[in-house]
Amino acid sequence: MQIGFYFDQTRCTGCGACAVACKDWHDIPAGPENWIRVLYSEKGKYPDLFVSYLVVPCYHCLDPICARACPTGAIFKRTEDGIVLVDKQACLSIEECKAACLTACPYKAPQFGPEPAARMHKCDFCLDRWLKKKLPICVEACPTHALDAGILSELEAKYGQIVAAEGFVYSKRTRPAVVLKPKTRKILEK
Amino acid sequence: MPTGQDIVRTTSTFNCGGRCPLRLHVNNGTIVRVEGDDGAEPEQLRACLRCRAYRHWVYHPDRLKYPARRMGRKGEGKFERITWDEALDTIVAHLKQVKQTYDNPSIFLGGGAYIGALHNGRAALGRVLARFGGYTTSYGNISAEGSVWACQVTYGTTLVGNSRDDLPNSRLIILWGWDPVRMIQGTDTIINLIEAKEGGTRFVAVDPRYHDSAALLADKWIPIRPGTDTAMMVAMAHTMIQENLYDKTFLEKHTVGFEKFRDYIMGQEDGITKTPAWAEKITGVAAGPIGQLAREYAITKPAALMDCYGPARSAQGEQFNRCAIALAAMTGNIGRHGGNAAGGLMHTPLGSVRISGLPVTRNPVETNAALIQGSVDLKARLVCSIHTNKIFDAFLRGKAGGYPADIKMAWFVGGNPLNQHGNSNKAAKALTNLDFLVVSELFMTPTARFADILLPVTASIEHNELTGPWTSGPYVTFANEAIEPPGECKSDWQIAREIAVRLGFDDFDLLPEEEWLKKSAVDSQGDPIQDYPKFKREGIVRTRLAEPHVAFKKQIDDPEHNPFPTPSGKVEIYSQRVADLNRPLCPPIPKYISSGEDLNNPLRQKYPLQLISPHPRNRVHSTLYNVDWLREIEPHQMWINATDAEARGISNGDLAYVFNNRGKLAITAWVTERIMPGVVCIFEGAWYDPDEEGIDRGGCVNVLTDDTYTEGGACALNTVLVQVSKKKDN
Repeated sequence: MQIGFYFDQTRCTGCGACAVACKDWHDIPAGPENWIRVLYSEKGKYPDLFVSYLVVPCYHCLDPICARACPTGAIFKRTEDGIVLVDKQACLSIEECKAACLTACPYKAPQFGPEPAARMHKCDFCLDRWLKKKLPICVEACPTHALDAGILSELEAKYGQIVAAEGFVYSKRTRPAVVLKPKTRKILEK
Repeated sequence: MPTGQDIVRTTSTFNCGGRCPLRLHVNNGTIVRVEGDDGAEPEQLRACLRCRAYRHWVYHPDRLKYPARRMGRKGEGKFERITWDEALDTIVAHLKQVKQTYDNPSIFLGGGAYIGALHNGRAALGRVLARFGGYTTSYGNISAEGSVWACQVTYGTTLVGNSRDDLPNSRLIILWGWDPVRMIQGTDTIINLIEAKEGGTRFVAVDPRYHDSAALLADKWIPIRPGTDTAMMVAMAHTMIQENLYDKTFLEKHTVGFEKFRDYIMGQEDGITKTPAWAEKITGVAAGPIGQLAREYAITKPAALMDCYGPARSAQGEQFNRCAIALAAMTGNIGRHGGNAAGGLMHTPLGSVRISGLPVTRNPVETNAALIQGSVDLKARLVCSIHTNKIFDAFLRGKAGGYPADIKMAWFVGGNPLNQHGNSNKAAKALTNLDFLVVSELFMTPTARFADILLPVTASIEHNELTGPWTSGPYVTFANEAIEPPGECKSDWQIAREIAVRLGFDDFDLLPEEEWLKKSAVDSQGDPIQDYPKFKREGIVRTRLAEPHVAFKKQIDDPEHNPFPTPSGKVEIYSQRVADLNRPLCPPIPKYISSGEDLNNPLRQKYPLQLISPHPRNRVHSTLYNVDWLREIEPHQMWINATDAEARGISNGDLAYVFNNRGKLAITAWVTERIMPGVVCIFEGAWYDPDEEGIDRGGCVNVLTDDTYTEGGACALNTVLVQVSKKKDN
């Protein structure tokens, strides 16, 4: 079984509720460690603009390149649900391997705190919640219901199989477990 | 108080237009996590990022925990801890001394950003001070006073909004100066707007900014110069009249005075025909799109003109909402599903916080109370009180400056007016000169720094409270006590009681908290809540409406039996009450009047840019500004168009200085195409922090705004000319 995320880019307002809820649930201090990020894109010239946001958690790839990059095998994919986790004890720290996982990941999902020998942390799909049959906190927190999560095949059945969105590049090497509804550029009416 | 592991259902009492159920995970007396509403769809009310960060607010290391007295200079922020007895005795001694020496009007009570029934300091202290012989206070609200006046004049009420589930019934929604993604106006607003969008409703945004709501919803963006919105609306009326696109039957049946408005529009009154070409020169919007929007709004039915209070937060701002109502009437969109009555407030009678259980005490200082009931005469309201944007000018100038009293002591509770009202530098001067200031606060805000006595107060979840959305409903909420107050914090209501006892009013509010809450608990229809324990346990009572609430539906469906609460019983496009005031800048029909500090002003040579200060995304006004989780979501920055930035050698991320005659601040520039050239935007609420040269390093926009208001009471905070420079000295 493989879990995954759904993101409806047409509904995202870039508010950051997902990011704050994530920090609260996982008790992450303000700073560089962000398990879910909201990327901003602005295109065009006044007054013809295209603005979009992209929410980037860990996509729990079918073929997690971070796990292959890790020199100690600290990153692994759970067989029962495909959630990609890191064994914090086994992680060598950012200084030892120069964040090989982060370098490898096309989505910059591996995260490090500000401390000198920071170990890698990342989105764990809110495993504690998932085991209680609850969706990740970011999904519950989204005021516009732009996020969903669950079993990937079910998400695909519900939302389709599009893996394109503004600012997103589908990596065929890692195969991210995500379904997207892209916001497409529409020329604003004059 | 919960012990062990528990989920406490509660909410905030921020001055926010949403009110969101929260489930706090409490572990041995400490909140460890926040979850949102688990109500069934479609009624689920999802909290935004602000309350998601509640834990870092309530547990912030800078929380004030003990009463304190000022040690250093006023405003320096140096305090020493004292006992509650010392603090309260000092306050009472000053109250008595000021009363004896100068009389009650010299005591000022201000604030009011706490949205709750019982622990509401301004209400509770107001009742105590009324028994003490009274006090002077402010009139009007800093955000929406122009809209309040416009609604009162035209409709005779401020309850002009529809429940948000009616939005998907609109075929066209015009977001005029409204960015509901940032300024939460009803928790369920955005989701209903999205539903409308996905159901095929067309959206047009009229705004100097291509804001996040426009990016989310708009098919069309019409950038417009600040302070000129009414000119565009007036020209839209011209197109509708010229092309015979307006609803004559509706106007005849439900309104008075349209012909006078028509005479003004068509030039019979002043010789100027208010064509789109006329408006183009004022607004910067080409005549074509003005006419096109007029046609679209007139023909598409039903259509909702959502005129918010940003444009009305300008000089002559009351004309904006008045004119929007005239357009809503001309298109027959009042009282109809999918329409909107306009007027700016969007309030419904479904969710307001009531305080029915608490005794009412008249303020003896307000001797004009009978005269101002329902009056549209702002001057009558200001005989005994001070306009909210003039508090600090009144402190400085007193009776000699035409104000009702010489203020000798002030008490601010639930508010940060130095930061949030016009002209913060003047406010700092006024508070430096004031004899005695008490501030009740959770944090050392810019206002609190000037206190002589500082009182630490509780957050919404450190007491039990009834609260609700501004007025969007249909639901009411219960803020359950989840944790013990830190240090020696007391609620504003407890403080009022202790002051009362010291003043000899031993019988003040004798019932315990729980009894008052039980007495006051009513649902969003105003009916007493029968199952109080269930309300408390669940933290919310939702009301399922048979159909969406639409303002004035009765008045439109059956006008014979349901007159509007105006003197004529109709929608007053022409107001005889306003005509009787006989004031040139307060016309009886809505008109475009220059806002003064605009592009026609010679000041433009020195200060060529217009400044607006909308509601921020990641705080509630100035509340939550110190929360790190929220601050990192969006740094405090100034929006500036690439053309204006380039002309000044400013690149994205540069520190820029923004200044005018009133002050100067330093802020990071965010260079974007999303704001029209000639306009800059600094979100309100960043904390004032002047350096030794007087430059505000905190980026508090109100060092640049003026403390003026216009005839309907609109605060002119979006009527500002500034210059921006990369250099500190200019």
